[in-house]
Amino acid sequence: MQDTDHKERTTSRRQFLKAAGTVAGATVGLPGTSKAFDLEELFQQHFRELSQEDLERVLQRMERKYEEEYGKPFSVEATGPLDGVMFGYGLDISRCIGCRRCVYACVDENNQSRDPQIHYIRVLEFEREEVQRWIDFEKGDPFYDHEEVPAEGKLYLPVACQQCEEPECVRACPTTATWQEPDGIVVIDYDWCIGCRYCMAACPYGARHFNWTEPGIPEDEVNPKTHYLGNRPRAHGVVEKCTWCIQRTREGRYTACVEACPVGARKFGNMLDPKSEIRYLIEHKRTFVLKAELDTKPKFFYFYG
Amino acid sequence: MHPHSIEPRGGPSLSPPVRWTIVGIAVLAVGFFALGGGPLKQSTVRAYPSRPLAPEPEPVLLAPPPVDDEFFPCEDCHEGESADPEVRELDEHEHVKLKHGDLWCLDCHDRDQRDLLHLSDDSPVEMSESWRLCTRCHAKRIPDWRAGVHGKRTGYWSGRKEYRTCVVCHDPHSPLFKPLAPKPPPIPASQIHSPTATRSAEMNDAGH
Repeated sequence: MQDTDHKERTTSRRQFLKAAGTVAGATVGLPGTSKAFDLEELFQQHFRELSQEDLERVLQRMERKYEEEYGKPFSVEATGPLDGVMFGYGLDISRCIGCRRCVYACVDENNQSRDPQIHYIRVLEFEREEVQRWIDFEKGDPFYDHEEVPAEGKLYLPVACQQCEEPECVRACPTTATWQEPDGIVVIDYDWCIGCRYCMAACPYGARHFNWTEPGIPEDEVNPKTHYLGNRPRAHGVVEKCTWCIQRTREGRYTACVEACPVGARKFGNMLDPKSEIRYLIEHKRTFVLKAELDTKPKFFYFYG
Repeated sequence: MHPHSIEPRGGPSLSPPVRWTIVGIAVLAVGFFALGGGPLKQSTVRAYPSRPLAPEPEPVLLAPPPVDDEFFPCEDCHEGESADPEVRELDEHEHVKLKHGDLWCLDCHDRDQRDLLHLSDDSPVEMSESWRLCTRCHAKRIPDWRAGVHGKRTGYWSGRKEYRTCVVCHDPHSPLFKPLAPKPPPIPASQIHSPTATRSAEMNDAGH
């Protein structure tokens, strides 16, 4: 017994030394590899403190890096918010059929890791009778697998980032790596995130996801049209989240989930525009927000159309 | 108490190593803040230029209502014929499974002008404007639809908004949505074998 123990220990020590040697070797060889240790990247400033010229340089460096990594032309934009815009989102739970088209449209658009799997949208299935008066999230089942949906007597409630006006995740971040933009989108500077995951603990909606390993995105599936604060490929060890497709919505387009929804249950627009869909539904429908009692003031409104 | 045991005002004197440590920390702290460390000074992004919002154009119709080329125009077969008003099993048009309230063909299709629909007051309606007919029963949906809250919109929230008319999404003969096969469920933590990936999924599972 003792012998085995001893053997195991020596093996692991040998493995450790081997690993240490590999690391040392890799460090020496780093400048030549594609994941080169980049001094410029190390001294890169926080996104909000970058000047226009510095930002241009950073974006170009990122484009080069991603091109090398994924073998196709990349664009990394940093399009700013539009004046007089505060985004809002509506979801008609009387329409949602739980087909999960939105989940996968989001994965494709926003370059989420396929393996290990990261999904920003989680569709919860409830017994319709149980949620007549009260939604108990403990009873929501994200793993339902029926041949066809909607299943009899069920209600579907997709949950992703609620883009709170009082975001707890932002308050929890010790490095100001996450903040709320002037148009209301809560974003992350993935180069400033230290991966402490305080924000994940703070978020009451489970909307933040951590890259425990290097994200796995097949080269032919990666979306090369990206935004610095949005869908550019993330690194191992950082937190990521839904940004309401910042790369699309800052250019005036709808989010990928809105366009993917086969029943038109998802609504998106500018809450400051009295003629927008979102404004209409807030004014004319009975809306509710998730966990309103926490006073996080979500800008994601569920309604019954 | 003996007067000599009272320490001088200002607390105990510090030994040189402690004093130098404090001075060192102070120098480091000053350096840190001087080099731009500490809390962010920008409330908004420096690099963002002002981007005025362009006025929105009117929504555009994405696609004309679908018509079945095999059966339309109806006049190809029924030219000059007045339809039989009797409610009955049809010999033709088996593909049409009528499941729309208590309606019968001629409640919507015109009896004499076979390529047209008609409203309840018998005024004719082009196939392409079939939504006008829908409003006769489903009037409450119309404001929602016009506002873009009922029905799907694609394109641009500030720009070219594409909308659809009723029959693009709802089969007028059987308007209820047909069930769909759902996309695969997320992978639960218990089914991911890599140790790090399992932790990731556990965190995500616990998230809702």
